[in-house]
This record gives sequence, C-alpha cells and structure tokens, in this order.
Amino acid sequence: MEPEALVSDYLGRLERAAQPLPADRRGELIAEVHEHIESALAEAGSRDEVTARNVLERLGAPEEIVAAETGSSGEPAAPPPVVERPPRWGPAEVLAILLLTVGAVFLPVVGPLIGLILVWMSGEWTTREKWVATLIVVVLLALPVLLLLGVSVGSGSNGSGA
Amino acid sequence: MVPGETRNPLTELRRGVLEYCVLAVVRDDESYAFDIVRRLASAGELVTSEGTIYPLLSRLRRDRLVTTTWRESDAGPPRRYYRITDDGRQALDGFALDWARFRRAVDAILAVAS
Repeated sequence: MEPEALVSDYLGRLERAAQPLPADRRGELIAEVHEHIESALAEAGSRDEVTARNVLERLGAPEEIVAAETGSSGEPAAPPPVVERPPRWGPAEVLAILLLTVGAVFLPVVGPLIGLILVWMSGEWTTREKWVATLIVVVLLALPVLLLLGVSVGSGSNGSGA
Repeated sequence: MVPGETRNPLTELRRGVLEYCVLAVVRDDESYAFDIVRRLASAGELVTSEGTIYPLLSRLRRDRLVTTTWRESDAGPPRRYYRITDDGRQALDGFALDWARFRRAVDAILAVAS
C-alpha cells in the first residue's frame, strides 16, 4: 500500500470516528492529527511505507483518539440509546377503555363520558390520541340525536306541506 | 476490578497524570503540539498513543490552563504554541504536592509488602 494511501485511509477513519464531535472541533482535531503526521514524516526524512506505518502506529487508533476527546474509556463513543417506552396501562387506563367500548352498551352516554374523562386524566396517551377518542365518542353520541332530529325535521316539514 | 485483569493499571495512571505532565512541559517555555508530544514520548512510559495528546491539549485550552498563540514556522504551515496560564501553574503546583505524597505512600506500602 502506498504511504499516501495509508495516511488518507487513516484520516478517513478519523473523520468517521469523529462524527459525534461538534463540527468545529472535528475539523480542528483532523487538522491537528494531519499536521502531526506531516511533521513526523518530515522529521523521519523519508516518506516510504514503513515510515508511514510507524508514524500512524505511534499515533494510535483513530477511534482511541476520539474516545480521549469524548472522555469515554477507549471504546468508540456510542450514541445514547433511544428508549422506546412501551405503554404501561394501569387500572384507570383499562377502565377507560372498557367504559368507552362495552360501557356504551351497559351505561349508555354516561359510560363513554366517564371513559373520556379517564382518558384525558391519563398520561399514557398523546394529546392527539385523546382528541381522536373524544371525536369518536362525540360523533357516535351525536349520530342518533342528529338522525332523530333529521327524521323529526323531515317529518315536520312533510307535515306542514301536507 | 481485580489487579492484572484485562485493564492495565498504567493506562489508568497515565490518564490521571498526563495533563499535568503536559503542563510541566510548557511550564517554562511555550511549545507547539508536535514538540510537546516528542518531549513526553522521550520521557518514556507516559504516552502510548501520541494522537490522544490532541484531545488533551484541547481540554487544557478550554479549561484555560494554557493559552495558545499562532506563530509562523520555518517549515510548513503556522504552528499553535502553548503557554501555561496562572491557573495552569496553580494546578501544576497543587498536583506536584499531591503526587509527591502519593508516590511516598505507594513506595512505603510496596516496601513493607516486599
């Protein structure tokens, strides 16, 4: 392998390892290490493959340099794990679901309304989900009323026309 | 942690003392990074991966234990010269006392143990 290729290969590894660093510090670190390599090659008075390998070996692994920057113990810095919290339903959430579903049959109107209150008090659903639940309940409650109104208005207008 | 297991105790020791060794190198005269690395390396034992000095120098700058000045160089691009600050000097003096006590304590224990 050509010495130039060894050096650019090393700097490429350093750049990839340094991705977690802030952009300005990343550029600075790469420039510093690059300059170190140039100084070391100049000092050695030779740019052959063996010299380049020795210079890079004395520098240490790029990942190790970045680890010293981030204060971790030598392993490449891992991004903080993204914790996807599973939904944890307590008794209130279960009761809310029951009231919204079978509650509509056993406790018409009152059941789903209490269910909605429980839904809004719970921290386990997003605001968007709560609005969707509310909308469904309101529409389902309003539907028979609207239908009845429609029928009575329709029959009323029919009656007046007759 | 069991001594002798996977981790080299010297690695841990180096991590703790290296920044003070850098401060000691620039205590009397300003110096540029490559020269600092060379002087630390020539002392032996202190540096295993020369590249890790650069993050260390960056931290010393951030903590204002050193200041830097860019100067033209005879060969190649301008160089950043490192100089110790008053805060750095104070930190170094404090460490020198701590280290002397620490070394005496370890030496005494090792002498008794052997």
